[in-house]
Amino acid sequence: MAGLVTTFGAGAMTNSIGEIREADCLFVIGSNTTEAHPIIAMEMKRAVRRGATLIVADPRAIWLSSIATRHLQLRPGTDVWLLNAMAHVIVTEGLWDRAFVETHVEGFEDVAAAVAAYTPEEAERVTGVAAEDIRWAARTYAQTPKAGIYYTLGITEHSHGTDNVYALANLVLMTGHLGRASAGMNPLRGQNNVQGANDAGASPIFLPGYQRVDDPEARARYERAWGVPLSPTPGMNLNVMMKRVGSDIRGLFVMGEDIVMSEPNVARLEEGLNRVEFLVVQDIFLNETARFADVILPAAAFAEKDGTFTNSERRVQLVRKAVEPPGEARADWEILVELARRSGGAWALSSAAEVYDEMAKDVPRFAGLSHARLAREGGLQWPCPTPTHPGTRFLHEGRILRGKGLMVPVAYRQSLELADELYPLVLSTGRTLYHYNAATQTRRESGLAAKQQEAWVELHPADAKRRGIGDGDQVEVRTRRGAVTVRAVWSRQVRRGAIWMPFHFAEARANLLTNDAGDPVTQTAEYKVCAADVRRLDAPPSPSFLPGSFYRDRDPEG
Amino acid sequence: MNDPNRSRVLTLTLDGLEVPFSEGETLLDVAKRVGVTIPTLCHDPRLEPAGVCRTCLVEVEGWRRLAPSCATQATAGMRVTTDSARVERHRKGLLGLYATDHPGDRAAAERRGPDELLAMIDRYGARDEALGALSSLRAGRPKDANPYIDFDPEACILCERCVRYCDEVEAVSAITLAGRGARTTISTADGIGLLDSSCELCGGCVDTCPTGAMAEKLPLTRGLRAERELAKVRTTCNFCGVGCQLDLNVDPGGRDGRGQVVKVTSPAPGTTTNDGNLCVKGRFAYDFLHHADRLTAPLVRGADGQLYPTTWDDALSRAAQGLLGVKERHGADALGFVSSSRCTVEENYLVQKLARAVFGTNNVHQCAAT
Ligand code: SF4
Ligand code: SF4
Ligand code: FES
Repeated sequence: MAGLVTTFGAGAMTNSIGEIREADCLFVIGSNTTEAHPIIAMEMKRAVRRGATLIVADPRAIWLSSIATRHLQLRPGTDVWLLNAMAHVIVTEGLWDRAFVETHVEGFEDVAAAVAAYTPEEAERVTGVAAEDIRWAARTYAQTPKAGIYYTLGITEHSHGTDNVYALANLVLMTGHLGRASAGMNPLRGQNNVQGANDAGASPIFLPGYQRVDDPEARARYERAWGVPLSPTPGMNLNVMMKRVGSDIRGLFVMGEDIVMSEPNVARLEEGLNRVEFLVVQDIFLNETARFADVILPAAAFAEKDGTFTNSERRVQLVRKAVEPPGEARADWEILVELARRSGGAWALSSAAEVYDEMAKDVPRFAGLSHARLAREGGLQWPCPTPTHPGTRFLHEGRILRGKGLMVPVAYRQSLELADELYPLVLSTGRTLYHYNAATQTRRESGLAAKQQEAWVELHPADAKRRGIGDGDQVEVRTRRGAVTVRAVWSRQVRRGAIWMPFHFAEARANLLTNDAGDPVTQTAEYKVCAADVRRLDAPPSPSFLPGSFYRDRDPEG
Repeated sequence: MNDPNRSRVLTLTLDGLEVPFSEGETLLDVAKRVGVTIPTLCHDPRLEPAGVCRTCLVEVEGWRRLAPSCATQATAGMRVTTDSARVERHRKGLLGLYATDHPGDRAAAERRGPDELLAMIDRYGARDEALGALSSLRAGRPKDANPYIDFDPEACILCERCVRYCDEVEAVSAITLAGRGARTTISTADGIGLLDSSCELCGGCVDTCPTGAMAEKLPLTRGLRAERELAKVRTTCNFCGVGCQLDLNVDPGGRDGRGQVVKVTSPAPGTTTNDGNLCVKGRFAYDFLHHADRLTAPLVRGADGQLYPTTWDDALSRAAQGLLGVKERHGADALGFVSSSRCTVEENYLVQKLARAVFGTNNVHQCAAT
C-alpha cells in the first residue's frame, strides 16, 4: 500500500478485473490466485486460453504454474534479486521505454545504476531461477505492450515487502506498461473490503481518501467537518499497536477481527491482552479474542445490514440487508454511532447511506458516489468526482496521478530469520480456497470442512523421508516462537527445504509460529519466511484426510 | 486504422431488417444485440459455441439446411429468418423429442432450480403425449458424497454446458462425458466422487445447467421452496477482494419472519464483474449466517471472570466508560482501535472518526492492511 502510494500516487489496482482477459502477458508473483482470488484466476485462465503468456513467480508450484508458460520457482524471500535482475536485463538490452521515462518518470538513472550489479547469472545463484528464464521473463514482459503485473501477500508479507513493491513498480515504470487497458500493476486484496477500509481512513497516517493526518490543510478540513481539534501525530500501525498491547496500549476496541488468530507471534500478543485494562470486542461470533474481552457487542453479518464494500479494482458496490440479524445483534455502524454518542460525540447519522455521503463530500475521488447512484447504476470505480462521472476503469491514463512516477532503487536484504542448524526449514503461511481468514465463518460450513477438515503442513517428500515422516502422519511444527500439531502432507508443491501451512485453523494456529518482526516502512510482519523444523509425533496416520488435493504428491517416487 | 475493411460497415438482413455487425460475431450475437430472441439450450456466452442442441436453428437464404445461430459466423449480405414456419416446425418437433426424455413432474423439477427446457417445452406446447416417455439409461453417481452438487441423469439432455464450463472457465476438467450411445452421461474420471476429483466445488456446472440436472444439494435435501418463490437480494460477496456480485435467495417467512438465506445464485453472465461466476465460498458458504453460534446478546464480564448477557444500554455505557477511563488515566494515545476489512466502508469510516474525533487518537488501523 505505502509502496504504491509513494511510486504512483494511489494504492490500488491500476486496472480492472475485466481487462485481465484481454491481456497479452500476465506476470503473477507471490499470488496463489486460484486459491485466494478464484474469480480473478478464472479471468487469467481465460487469457491463457486466448494465447496470453503467463509468467508465474512463486516458491511453490501452484495451480496457475501448471498452466504457466514458465514458472520461476524462486527461493522464498529472494524476490528483490529476481526483480532487480529483470530490470538489469531490460536496462542493458535497451528494452526500456525512453519516451515514457523521459516524460513520466523520475529516478530512472538511480535505479539503472543500482541494478547494474544484479546480473542474471548472480541472480540464478541466489534465487535458484535459471539466468535464461530471467532473461526470457524480462524480455517477454518488456516487449509486450499489454502486460500486467498481479501480486498479493506473497510480495508484501515480508520484512522487505515495500522493497518488493518498489522493485515491481520499477519494472512498470521503465517499460511504460501503465495508464492503458490491461497494462499496469495490480495488488489483489485479500479480504473483501481491504481497499474500502483503506479508502475510508482506517489508517494511522491517513484520513479518508489518503489525506495525511500530518498535513495541516487536510486536518483543518476535518476539524471543520467534525467540529473538534484533531491530533497531528500519526498513530501506531497495527503491527506496532499489537506489540505494545499491554504496555503503551492500555485500552483496545476491536471490530470484526480475531486478532489472536490473525496476528503474528500470537503468544506474545496474548500476554499483552492479559495486561490491558479494557477490551471491547465487536463481532458476529464469540471469537478467540473475545476470551480477553470486558464487553462483547453482537454485530450483524453482511446479509443483515446496508453499506458498501470496495473491491480490489476500486469498485464501490452495495451491500444490502436481506434478512434480520439474530436475537439482538445490530449492524456495526449502528453500534458505532451509539457508542460515539455515549462517549461524548454528537453524531446525527441514521443510515449507512448518510454515512457514505458524509465521507464522500470531503474526498474528491468519491464525491460522485452515493448509495442511490450505486443502486441505480451498479458498482462504480473511483476516481468518480461528480455525479455524472462514469468512474475510472484504469488509472494513470495520460498522466501518472503522482505527477511523475517515482522509481526507487532497492537493494536485496535477507529475510530476518534464515534457516539454520536448529531450524533448518523455511516456513511460509498462506490461504486456501476452502477457508477464509480465521475461518470463523467457513469452518461452520459442513461442506467446506468436508474438503479440508483439519490443519496440515506441506513438505517435500525428501525432507519428510529424512525425518521419518509419512504422508498423513501427525507432526509437530516448531519455530523459535512456538509449536503446533498438524498433519503432514507430502507435497511436490514446495521446494526442498521449504514448508508451507495454511493459517486458518484455531487448534493449530500458524501464527504461534510466525515472526512479528516487520517491514521498516509498513511494519507488515514476515508471515512468508521464518525458520522452522518438523518432527513426527506418535499418533495414528490419516492418509485420507485431504480428499482431492491438488497439492498432495500422490506418487512420490514417480 | 486505414485498413479499408475496417471502416466498411458490415451488414446482413435479419427478419427483414438490415442490421450492422462486426467481424467475429455469430448470428446469435447479432440477434441478441438487436433484441431478437432466439431460444437456446447449449449456448452460454462464457463458452465456446458447441452447436449441439439444435434449438437455435435459423433459416439462411440459399442454404439447404437450417443453421445453428450460436455457431454460425455472421457474413456480409446474409439473409436470415429466425421465426419462419419451417424454423418453428423444426423447433417444436425437437422440443417434443426432448420432452419424451425429460421428467414431467413440474414440482420436482422446480425444486432443482429453474428449468429452461421445461419452460421452453411449455411455451411451444411441444409435449406430445403420443410420443410417450422414455426412461433414460444414463447413470448417475448416487454415492457421490460431495456436499454441494447433485446430478439427476433423468433431467440431463447432454448439452455439455457443465462439462464445457468445467473445462473452459474453471479449467479443472473434473467432469466429463462418459459412456456411449444412449448410456452417455456426465461423470468424473472413473466415476469417483467430486470430493476426490479435481473439482473445486465452484458450482458453475449447476449455474449453467439449463435443465436442473445439475442442482444444489443443500436446498434439495432441506426440501425448500422453489426458487421463484424466493426473494432475490443483490449484494456483494463478503469473502475475498474480488467483490463478486451475488443474489441472496431469501425465504421471507423463514426464521419466524426474520428471513432466511436458503441459497445463493449468481447474476447473469455479462452483467457484473464476475460474469456469472462464483467460487465455492461465494456460492455455498452461507450457513454461517444462521448458525446457532451467532452472538445474539451483548455480554459483559462479571467480577468472577465469567461472561453474562446484558442489555444494549448497559453494554454500551460500560464500553464507553471503560474506554474513557483508559483515556483519563493514560491519555488518548493509550487507546487502540482495530477496525476491519470485513466490515463496510461506512463502518470503517465511523471507527476512524470515533478514534480521532471522539477519543482523540490516530491509533486506528484495519486488520490486514495489505
Ligand atoms: S463444481 Fe466447478 S469444478 Fe466442480 S464439476 Fe462443477 S464446474 Fe467443475
Ligand atoms: S465468490 Fe469467491 S471469488 Fe468472488 S468475491 Fe466471493 S470469495 Fe471472492
Ligand atoms: S444453442 Fe445453438 S445449438 Fe444449442
